Amino acid sequence: MKNILLLLFFLTSTSLYAQRITVNGTVTDIKGNALPGATVQVRGTNVGVLTDGSGKYSVDVPEPSAVIAFSFVGFVPKEIVVQNQTTINVALTEDIQGLQEVVVVGYGTQKKANLTGAVDQVTSEALENRTMSNLTQGLKGVVPNLNIKLLDGKPNQAPEYNIRGETSIGQGGSALVLIDGVEGDPAMVNPNDIASISVLKDAASASIYGARGAFGVVLITTKNPSKGKTSITYSSNLALRKPVAVPDLVSDGYTFAKMFAESFYNWENTFPTAVNKTLKFSQAYLNELERRSTNPLPTDKEVEIDSNGNYVYYASHDKYKELYKDYATGTEQNVSISGSSDAASFLLTGRLLSQAGIFRHNSDDYGMHNIRAKGAVQVFPWLRIENNSEYSDMKYHNPLNVGEGSGIWRNIADEGHVLAPMFNPDGTLTMSAAYNVGDFWYGRNGFDYVRRIIRSSSGFAAQFFEDKLRFKGDFTFRNTDYNEQRKQVPVPYSNKKDVILYLGTTTNDLRETIDVTKYLATNFYTEYENILGGSHYLKVLLGYNYEQSTYKRLRTQRNGLIFVDASNINLALGQSITTSGDWDRWNILGGFGRINYSFKDRYLIEINGRYDGSSKFPARQRFAFFPSFSAGWRISKEPFFKVSDKIISDLKLRASYGSLGNGNIDSYTYQEELTISQSGKVLNGVKPQDTSNPDVLPDGITWETATTQNIGLDISSISDRLRFIGDAYIRNTTGMFTIGMTLPAIFGTDPPKGNYADLKTTGWEMSLSWRDRFVVIAKPFNYEIRVTLADNKAVITKYNNPEKVLSDYYEGEVIGEIWGYITEGFFIDSADIADHADQRMFANNSKSQINQPGDIKLLDSDGSGKIDYGTDRIGDTGDKQIIGNSAAHYTYTINLNSDWNNVFVSAFFQGVGKQEWWPRYETSLFWGQYNRPYAGVPKWQLGNFWTPENTDAYLPRYVSRLANREGAMLREAPQTRYLQNIAYIRLKNFQIGYNLPTSLVSKIGATNLKVYFSGENLWTWSPLYKHTRDLDVENTGPSDQLFTSSNAGDGYNYPMLKNVTFGLSVTF
Amino acid sequence: MVMKKIHWLLFTLTILCVSCELEQIPQASISKEAVFGDEKGLELYTNSLYDILPSANDVHRADCISDYASRRAAPAFLISGAYTPTSVDDDSQSAYSVVELGGDAGWTWESLRNVNYFIVNCSNPELTSKIPPDVRRHYLGVAKFFRAWFFFEKVKRYGDVPWINKPLDVEDPILYGPRDPRSLVMDSVLSDLNYACQNIKTTTEGTRSLITKYAAYAFKARVCLFEGTFRKYHTELGLTASANKWLTEAADAAKKVMDESGYKVYEGAGTTGSYRRIFTNPTPVNEEVILANIMNLSLAVTHNANWVYTSSTTGIRFNFIRTFINTYLKIDGTPFTETPGYETMLFKDEVKNRDKRLEQTIRMGSYNRLNVATPPSFGYSYTGYQPIKWCLDDPYYDGGSLNINSVSILRYGEVLLNYAEAKAELGTLTDADWALTIGKLRTRAGITGGLTTKPTVVDSYLKTKYFPDISDPVILEIRRERGIEMCMEGLRFYDLMRWKHGELLTMEWNGIYVPELVIPQDLNEDGVMDVAFYKETAPSTGATYNIDVSALVGGKPNTFRLKNDTYGELTWLNTIPRTWEQKNYYYPIPEADRLMNPALGQNTGW
Repeated sequence: MKNILLLLFFLTSTSLYAQRITVNGTVTDIKGNALPGATVQVRGTNVGVLTDGSGKYSVDVPEPSAVIAFSFVGFVPKEIVVQNQTTINVALTEDIQGLQEVVVVGYGTQKKANLTGAVDQVTSEALENRTMSNLTQGLKGVVPNLNIKLLDGKPNQAPEYNIRGETSIGQGGSALVLIDGVEGDPAMVNPNDIASISVLKDAASASIYGARGAFGVVLITTKNPSKGKTSITYSSNLALRKPVAVPDLVSDGYTFAKMFAESFYNWENTFPTAVNKTLKFSQAYLNELERRSTNPLPTDKEVEIDSNGNYVYYASHDKYKELYKDYATGTEQNVSISGSSDAASFLLTGRLLSQAGIFRHNSDDYGMHNIRAKGAVQVFPWLRIENNSEYSDMKYHNPLNVGEGSGIWRNIADEGHVLAPMFNPDGTLTMSAAYNVGDFWYGRNGFDYVRRIIRSSSGFAAQFFEDKLRFKGDFTFRNTDYNEQRKQVPVPYSNKKDVILYLGTTTNDLRETIDVTKYLATNFYTEYENILGGSHYLKVLLGYNYEQSTYKRLRTQRNGLIFVDASNINLALGQSITTSGDWDRWNILGGFGRINYSFKDRYLIEINGRYDGSSKFPARQRFAFFPSFSAGWRISKEPFFKVSDKIISDLKLRASYGSLGNGNIDSYTYQEELTISQSGKVLNGVKPQDTSNPDVLPDGITWETATTQNIGLDISSISDRLRFIGDAYIRNTTGMFTIGMTLPAIFGTDPPKGNYADLKTTGWEMSLSWRDRFVVIAKPFNYEIRVTLADNKAVITKYNNPEKVLSDYYEGEVIGEIWGYITEGFFIDSADIADHADQRMFANNSKSQINQPGDIKLLDSDGSGKIDYGTDRIGDTGDKQIIGNSAAHYTYTINLNSDWNNVFVSAFFQGVGKQEWWPRYETSLFWGQYNRPYAGVPKWQLGNFWTPENTDAYLPRYVSRLANREGAMLREAPQTRYLQNIAYIRLKNFQIGYNLPTSLVSKIGATNLKVYFSGENLWTWSPLYKHTRDLDVENTGPSDQLFTSSNAGDGYNYPMLKNVTFGLSVTF
Repeated sequence: MVMKKIHWLLFTLTILCVSCELEQIPQASISKEAVFGDEKGLELYTNSLYDILPSANDVHRADCISDYASRRAAPAFLISGAYTPTSVDDDSQSAYSVVELGGDAGWTWESLRNVNYFIVNCSNPELTSKIPPDVRRHYLGVAKFFRAWFFFEKVKRYGDVPWINKPLDVEDPILYGPRDPRSLVMDSVLSDLNYACQNIKTTTEGTRSLITKYAAYAFKARVCLFEGTFRKYHTELGLTASANKWLTEAADAAKKVMDESGYKVYEGAGTTGSYRRIFTNPTPVNEEVILANIMNLSLAVTHNANWVYTSSTTGIRFNFIRTFINTYLKIDGTPFTETPGYETMLFKDEVKNRDKRLEQTIRMGSYNRLNVATPPSFGYSYTGYQPIKWCLDDPYYDGGSLNINSVSILRYGEVLLNYAEAKAELGTLTDADWALTIGKLRTRAGITGGLTTKPTVVDSYLKTKYFPDISDPVILEIRRERGIEMCMEGLRFYDLMRWKHGELLTMEWNGIYVPELVIPQDLNEDGVMDVAFYKETAPSTGATYNIDVSALVGGKPNTFRLKNDTYGELTWLNTIPRTWEQKNYYYPIPEADRLMNPALGQNTGW
């Protein structure tokens, strides 16, 4: 890097001494109003000034042929050749920005003004100066109704993109993501390479991509070489990261033990003999803890040894403190080299991202490398050849626990008792620690993921008849390698001096997985564009697309590692050997076309169509045609529209309709397959492979279809300062591929699936922005406020559940609805219990269903004298009713941007207006010992549960297992009192930076130098925080989904992270 | 020139199109033709049929609904009104519901479809023409063994069930047809078993994990004894005439194993160790075990018996009751219950000089774990009779699914019991038969008397406490023997069903004798006081566990009581009455399925 800087310095410091001309003048708008703070820059040099308070400037130029560029935010820039003039007055015209903006659409671009579909686009600005582990995480909340549901805060967390809500309850389906026109993994793209991200929301816009675009398309376009001279930009940042939320648990051993015994007793009616599996427990032990708490002696030690030589623990050890670092660092280096001549252009970018993990031991380090090379050669005036190649790799280390196998958070809740310290006096791990943080400290167990992408696209663009006819073609190949190595070795611990035991003795193995996906794609299309007769604009596109993807997996596992640090499967010598493979290939073929027609820019019509074929469908159904239509009416262009530009500068109505088959399905869905897997039984000395009867295939099934109707309204007003874009839509997904009518159990397998269900998703999104400037101390202050708001709701309109049984989907179901009961309060006394409806369906105790004062009292809302759910079907749900909805509603963003005198400040807020969460069973992070008695006690619960003296507490009588055991009150009866409101507002990004003055920067030969501070997730507020801040509001989902398939334990998750970043960017 | 280029491009395009074949064939899975066209394929498929067998955990927990054990809570099946046709297969049932139902998940039919798919395709000559007929018949025999296993479970549980011998398609009228009579189904089961016995080629197999000819015979003996006795005692079925046919089949099948298979009663570890080794050895004890769930640490296949039987929360605290422990004979072969004062004997004394299977079944006397004397723990036990049958002695195994001891599914000891019972029910058991069966098992247990001649005196304790309807001393003794020898192996519930003694499941849950309050007992005489009982306020007794036996605790009836309030046998959970009704002999047909297919009908009383 240093060398590059030096080189650049020499290159750029040559032209500083020559003949000089001083040019003066005034910069105004068309109406003659002075523009203070406009930039006056001499092209190709580092010389530049700003106009003063009355719009005046004075600048030295080196020679008469010099070009001066005048620019001002919100105005069209202008360039003027000096030619011996010493006074140059310039009037800049206002940039009706929205109307000039070009938006990337399928196989081309379109002026925003002429758009008829629902397309949203953000540019690189949305990502600038932000620190993100991958692009997908950075895009959360950026585009209204582009829903990215991060399951946790892991750096490799990269969920699929959803556009406009629930897509299909059958085959599912997410948005198609294309990177420079080819399907790709957005998480692997260098965020600094992004020029724009375009989201095609309605069927009309997406239909050119056929079956895979059924639920919208995201088009990511990377930056192109800059015009003109070579420039080099280098940027670097340092980030400090820490969890947004760390559970604040009781760390005092005695308090924990006392509450453990109480909650245990209240459920089991017996005194505990052990704290789960790792600690013995007795009344005497509890007494000793109390003694140590009330009357500590200097001889008390955290670890004592009993008469049998066993360790006895009296510690107060916070496992979370041991788990996380105080903060973790991350650095990022970026370089971009770009240039062009008349015939050729190139762009080379590179990025090194390195983030240290947040785990103190067995750190989950993450890193990413990206290189991109783009080049183009104008072979003939009519023919251009280009190539776009990239390499990226991502590495992540995910530590694991061999003791129980679940995520560390669950393991801490189950065995991370505060009573046990990390270590015994001889330095060995305690058994309790070995189940969780101790395993990390031992540092051998974990997953190592490596993902690598090599991609190259080559293409040509030819133009004829004065650019009226164009041909374009490209060919892309991409290899994606995914390697995963899992190592599990037993963890040594000790319960007794000099006796070492091991946890995880059934493992001791190494597993290697190699996935390779080879993908190729080719596109060829031609476009004709012309304006006929002065007012008839016509553009016709015709094209052809072929893609093929081949996936292959090889997985081997072998036990018996010869030593614990072995990392190659050759050093695994055991006899438990598992191998498995997988293979999948699909290909698609499509011909597509689009016609754009507009009359006098007033009436806009677009027709799209695609004839699509996919190997995923049976021969008879393989091909289908998907047409779509959209139209726009620019009312403001009508002669009768006499409203001044100052009030309404643009007004457009849009509407579209399109219908697409859902091709987002698994390959071979329609073929009979006997799959081979490994038996769980030991037969004849091995765990053999086996196979079993195939799924029953349906007759005559066909595509799921997504039909979208969209209407939109675009308004620009007050001289384009205020802009509004709004869309409303209905998307009907019909013929969803779902399970058939339930058959009698003797059928012996799932009934064959078929096109049985329909879903209707309705929603809307809008954005409103205001930009303006005013002058502060003779410098312009530019600012912009942008607010977006979106919502959607999905209702099942047809489903094979005639009885409308609630355990399945049913017709009329709103996706996300939470069924539960109304909490009436707590029982006061035995008379209250006797008078109340029978609620024995929900246990408050293991043995008897007899309630006690302080137990939860549910409302007998149907007055039946019994709390029940009837037959659990619509119309007969007893006291059960809809109490909330778990889907995010009213998602919104607020963007504030401003700059003044080279200082820029921006804030990006993002949030959810309405969402409920029921903390499901195993959610100890919320329920504490109401879940399992040995879980850590959240501090907020102290003094907040019912006792005869504290009857208006939030939580009921202190009984364990209420949220854990089948049949128990808090597990089986979601209810209003504990339904959490997880709406939130979050300061997703805040940044402040300074562009050093050109005069200063030019001294080191740079054209721009920027320093900034940026922070992510710095502040959040949610109604949930009234009760607890132990888990992040965005992190309430099921446990560690990248890691386990178990869905028990909401919030046992890798934490969401906040970070502060200091960065610098310099351009030469 | 331009046109020439366009032509060239269009030409390329055409080439590309021709290469686009959209037919893709899966390569990581296998077709039916490939599976059934090769012996390897048949073996591959039959491996999946083994999932029909109960798992190790299913077996070691299966007796948790039985007459001889207490548990944390009463089974819903035995609480009046708590178990209904709608609660079957309901997710909200307790985690032990599956176990309560004898290791059978209930009205599920997936594994039958899997077997039938195999049998139908393996019988299709178009698919299997390249496979030698004896090989094909061998695998068909194995599959039919499993189909018999499947239907035996269903008939035990529901009585009449539909007999299905092919994978049904969506339109099949059987789906909405009635159940077939028990006799038809059981005749089909017998036919499958006969086919298996005749066609399975493997006669012996060292790992005890695969189905052999003699596993088929041993299982046939179990099935036929069940059916024979069920028909004999359930006179309401009107099938008594055929009972003897089944009993004869049972005796013949058992005899076949006794005469030909080479299995024997394992005695290699003496009278104090042989019995227990069968349940704790990592590999199956080959002399005796015919079929087992194999545990293998290096293959990471383990079960969780230690965890279940030594955790206060993971298990259901299965513990024997005193009434059953009383049936263990004295070492001389005479009934313990004839000992004067046996009812008030302390635990430490009553366990002495007994059938040596007692010390191999519960914690007592010198039982130790890693050389630490280990008495029954009232942290896990409600009665004091804490089982060790499937547990390993190293406490290391207590903390998770870590057990490495194999769990037998079929063993020779049961074959002997089946033979003896079938012969006794037929009235043809001889002294020689007795010596060969019960005598053999009692010899292994160190019993010294009554080994060669069949008993002639009715044991009044057995008759009054258990089987008042039986006057044949031989049958009574065989039933005693079966209870003791086979306890915790998953047979007990259906033994009571076939003997028509379901009411025994409501037997009081009683524990050790407590002569007085507060005075602690040293259960294993190691010098440490283990347990004391008190009322109202906890005294300082020096015992490891102090148990409150007051009438009320926290205003609610106490679940721990002494029979005479301040002394007597300990009792557990008498507060929750268990009931037995005639309908309980069968489980109810799930309501959901009956709604879909009313022709199924419902078992009487549900």
